[in-house]
Amino acid sequence: MPELDVKAPKITRPPDAGTGTGTGKPLSVTGLRKTYGGVTAVDEVSMEIAAGEFVTFLGSSGSGKTTTLMMIAGFCEPDSGSIVVGGRDVTRLAPQKRGLGFVFQQYLLFPHMTVWDNVAFPLQLRGTPKAELRRRVGETLEMAGLSGMTRRRPRELSGGQQQRVALCRALVYRPPVILMDEPLGALDKKLRDQLQTEIKRIQRELGLTVIYVTHDQEEALVLSDRIAVMRDGRIDQFDSPRELFEVPRTPFVADFLGAANFLAGSVEERTSEHTRVRLDTGGLLTARPLANADADGGRVRAAVQPGRIGLCPADTGFCTGTVETVTYVGTLVRVTVRPVGGADTDVVRLELPAGRAPAPGEHVGLTAEFTDVSVFPDTEDAGVHPDAEHRG
Amino acid sequence: MAGSALATQPQPQSQPAPTATPGRMSRLRRALAERRTRYGLLNAAPVVVYLLILFVYPIFSTLLLSLKGEEGGWTLHWYADAFQGANLEILLTTLRISAETSLLSLVIGFLLANAVTRLKPLWAGLVMLVVIVPHFISALVRTYGWIILLGEHGVVNNVLTDLHIPGAPFQLLYNEIGVVIGTTSVMLPYTVLLLYAVMRAVDRRLLAAAASMGAGRITIFRRVYLPLVASGLVNAGVLCFILCLGYYLTPALMGGPKQTMVASLIDDQVMKQNQWNGASALGIILLLLTFAGLLLLRLLKSAGEAYRKRGTAS
Repeated sequence: MPELDVKAPKITRPPDAGTGTGTGKPLSVTGLRKTYGGVTAVDEVSMEIAAGEFVTFLGSSGSGKTTTLMMIAGFCEPDSGSIVVGGRDVTRLAPQKRGLGFVFQQYLLFPHMTVWDNVAFPLQLRGTPKAELRRRVGETLEMAGLSGMTRRRPRELSGGQQQRVALCRALVYRPPVILMDEPLGALDKKLRDQLQTEIKRIQRELGLTVIYVTHDQEEALVLSDRIAVMRDGRIDQFDSPRELFEVPRTPFVADFLGAANFLAGSVEERTSEHTRVRLDTGGLLTARPLANADADGGRVRAAVQPGRIGLCPADTGFCTGTVETVTYVGTLVRVTVRPVGGADTDVVRLELPAGRAPAPGEHVGLTAEFTDVSVFPDTEDAGVHPDAEHRG
Repeated sequence: MAGSALATQPQPQSQPAPTATPGRMSRLRRALAERRTRYGLLNAAPVVVYLLILFVYPIFSTLLLSLKGEEGGWTLHWYADAFQGANLEILLTTLRISAETSLLSLVIGFLLANAVTRLKPLWAGLVMLVVIVPHFISALVRTYGWIILLGEHGVVNNVLTDLHIPGAPFQLLYNEIGVVIGTTSVMLPYTVLLLYAVMRAVDRRLLAAAASMGAGRITIFRRVYLPLVASGLVNAGVLCFILCLGYYLTPALMGGPKQTMVASLIDDQVMKQNQWNGASALGIILLLLTFAGLLLLRLLKSAGEAYRKRGTAS
């Protein structure tokens, strides 16, 4: 039993590892472009990813996130642009020459090999000496909690276990960058949460550079150091989860990450500190400064996350309305308020602590800190509703 | 329950129903009482009768015939005869040609099926049609076709001569090359169909996964693709071998005297020498060889399992 003589997992750096503290290397992508029969799948994507960083490509299907990942992996060739991993240009290299790790949504374990052999496979390819191979496979499997099932075949494992094996197989040879294509997409919620924690822990411990693709914004927020929100083959915004959430740069980002409320109005006053917006419902809303200088005095839409709106007495705050529905969701209540003077379809969604739930029919005022309100020129059609984005 | 009933009443299991133990009786009656069983028996009856009359009875009568002496009584003379002199040589020739044909049709079948799996569905279907349709034409016609193609002044030799290939024209007929070419063309659809089914079931993304870990083409083929299609290769090879063993037409028409196969020998004994006993013995030997082939198949499969297990332990 080779897995018995395993000591506590410790990070061993092979001679080909990066120069940072961990095994991860930086990756940079410049002007990446890919078209399929006239349709642009990825359009001028550029980004710098630091060594040991966890980056997520977040977007709905058809946003170009997977295509970008496939180009980094080498499974499809970009029309133009370049990919540099740890200082080496890999743009035109075959996947097997890039030395990256890849975790697939469908696991893709070799069905004719045991768990042990699956994980040992990449090391065997590299001609790792037998003793070291045993030690590293043992360590990696132990780290993922798989020590007890090394002799099993993939089909004898559950989905979560299979994905752990796939993760081990990508980790064991310490690739400079690990790419993950919706690795938890096929698992149920509970297992997904558990594996998210594990992936994050292992990534931190080993200092791995990870590029992760998902359409699940919660998953992206939990895992990532930075998230690239993608839409129509472009990156809308590439920032930390906090910045994306608090300072969305496009209405799409505001909507996709936080399902923001959008309130139409026109600019009444602009200063360097804030923007005052006269809402169509009559109230005055103070927001952060308008990023786009061209839109002076024009029509705008203000975006506020449901969790950032508070209640105040009626006829104070930026808006007054009638409470329509109150739904308990654990410790939170979801409340919808129909503003007085608004169109029939406009409701404002709120998330309040369960203790502060208003009663349906109650007349309330709504208030928000101006730092929580983003304001965008009303020229962009951009994704007010995520459903509108599900194309392709 | 039934087991204990049997243990207390030491009667042989093969005894007919009237004297069977109560446990067995009741089980039988219960089974017969079930609608599904009755329907099952009703449905199976034609097949059972068919097999008994056309399959089991002929095989047993052949077996009896092969063990009968010329003046009555039982003898192994015909078997001894089959393994002697010219007959033994024919037997070995049969085995050799079958092996050569299986190997060749495996190689060609593998390349062909592998190529077809890479095609788009429409083209794949078309190619499979091209492979299989010739099979609808009588083997006799196809064999004569080959004879025309491979003759001294046939298309193949004419082309080779025109290309100034040294040694052309070659002797491609009435020797082992001719037989192997002919039988391979007959066997090819079987190997291609079997291999194609296995290859199409291989998830090609597994190969991409191996590539992402740094495996080159040869390694991917050897360590991932080949193990995944190995069962198909073994099945196709053994099936081809078994079919070849008893194949008559093509070897008889395209081979020379040195390529006489067992089927031709049987034909000779029955039609020319009216020697039914010897022919029966040869038939039974062919049958046993077929069983041996199937046994080999099982052994190869379990050996493969054992090899994989050993790979794990190391």
